[in-house]
Amino acid sequence: MIVDVVFWFLAVLAVFSAWRVFRTDSMVRAAYWLLISFVGVGFIMVMLKAEFLGVILILMMGGEMTIMAVFMVMFMMNPAGLNPMIMVHQNRAAMAAGFGSFGLLSAVGLFARFPASVVPPRAQATAELGTELLGDSMLVFQTAGVTLLAAMIGAVALVSVRGRFGRADEGSDAPEQQPAAAAAAAPGPTVSDATAAAEPAPDVAGEDMPADHAHGDAR
Amino acid sequence: MVAEALSTAGLAIAVVAVLLGGTYIAAVLDVVFTRLTMRIAVRPLAAAALPLRRAAQLALQRRTLTERPDAGTWALAPAVLGALAAVSLAVVPLTGTVIAVKADTGIVVFAAAMALVVVAVYLQGWSPNSPLSLVAAYRFVAEGLSYEIPFAVVLIGTALPARSLALVPIVTSQEHLWNVVRQPLGLPIYLVTVLALGFWGPLSLPEGQDVAGGTSVELSGVPRLLWRVAQLNVLVAVSAMGAAVFLGGWLGPWLPGGVWMALKTLFLLALLVASRQYFARVRTESFVVVAWTILTPLALVDVFMAGIQAMVAAR
Repeated sequence: MIVDVVFWFLAVLAVFSAWRVFRTDSMVRAAYWLLISFVGVGFIMVMLKAEFLGVILILMMGGEMTIMAVFMVMFMMNPAGLNPMIMVHQNRAAMAAGFGSFGLLSAVGLFARFPASVVPPRAQATAELGTELLGDSMLVFQTAGVTLLAAMIGAVALVSVRGRFGRADEGSDAPEQQPAAAAAAAPGPTVSDATAAAEPAPDVAGEDMPADHAHGDAR
Repeated sequence: MVAEALSTAGLAIAVVAVLLGGTYIAAVLDVVFTRLTMRIAVRPLAAAALPLRRAAQLALQRRTLTERPDAGTWALAPAVLGALAAVSLAVVPLTGTVIAVKADTGIVVFAAAMALVVVAVYLQGWSPNSPLSLVAAYRFVAEGLSYEIPFAVVLIGTALPARSLALVPIVTSQEHLWNVVRQPLGLPIYLVTVLALGFWGPLSLPEGQDVAGGTSVELSGVPRLLWRVAQLNVLVAVSAMGAAVFLGGWLGPWLPGGVWMALKTLFLLALLVASRQYFARVRTESFVVVAWTILTPLALVDVFMAGIQAMVAAR
């Protein structure tokens, strides 16, 4: 009885929040509605005795959805994701894909033969999962894991030590906007012109030559 | 059935009582450490009353309004943060038998709840529709992505000797030697990462003076009170978890288990609270670089060492 109530609450929560993802007008809200949907699914997995998988889904999605929101904001021309925007595009293709995948999944649900065995109340689901991951399927998962770890270390090495614009922790200027030579030379000629006008000393003019030259290049 | 429901209700009340009691103690400790470092005489009664007076003041204060905030999310953010702290405290065994949620994957539940702290703080900064608050929210995302991996990895290290993800076996596995000795890198890394997680003291990056208070710049009155309470709730929860997985939880001679657990939790809580007075606030960039290039490799060393020890012990 209580199990049914909790299941239906979570199921409705997951579907409702998934629907809200497409009806909201903000990238951040869309990302976190999706997170709520994942949390609902995660709790349903916990109810299905897949405790570890359900909790790890919530753990992962907390970070994932935040990263997704940040990346969406970075890629869209929408300062900080504060302006309202329409979250659906290419409506016909999206509707076809949506109805198509819904039909396929419904067909699987209706026509597939699911095992009818009842999970024993003290099933060690987490231990069994661990045995599977480090037993028969070890090669697959360890290969994927080491590949991901290498990618992660590579990404850290790329961004943290030295980027294209200098060390990541020292701040940097975007290049090419003001060439260094012109920036250094710009105040030079005005000062030297004034100096030259005030006191036309021959040795000063010699020193000013390179600066004037650079100024001429910049023009 | 009735007895079971009653004991569940009792455990829920115990969790809330520990959370709120710990929060009050943390607030008092903060007053005491502030006065000690400022060389002001600490009068116990005044120090005990000050947090309550401040709370009453905030409760009566008018709340700040901003232009077109996301009002619902803004109101929910402190509730989410406090609820996450309560969930993480619920899986911590307070004594050998008093544990609110006996989850087989207790330490993963704790890590999952603490991973969602980033969401709560980000939404707190994002929802008032205010520039400095928003800057601080993005700053906390950078901080969160950086501390999350060393934080989770040192927690995994404590589960290895126990050969279990449940917290009672993790505590009992420390019967002969606490994890703080067995895994010397674990507790220091944990303490640094939970300071960042609770955005407290030297790592209160989203609430720094350089962003005028950041995520709390638009907070006053009851919302500010709730946000502060929720923040201290997080510190209490992580202290209790630190005491359980690194300092042997309820294990200890002479005194009853609950007293040992309370003493260890208070010790870690005092360390965390005092850090605000004794360490300067760190810049976000420095923290991110240190987290990725020093803390993460050290955490991996910690977990490899724990794995080798567990393998040798299993022989």
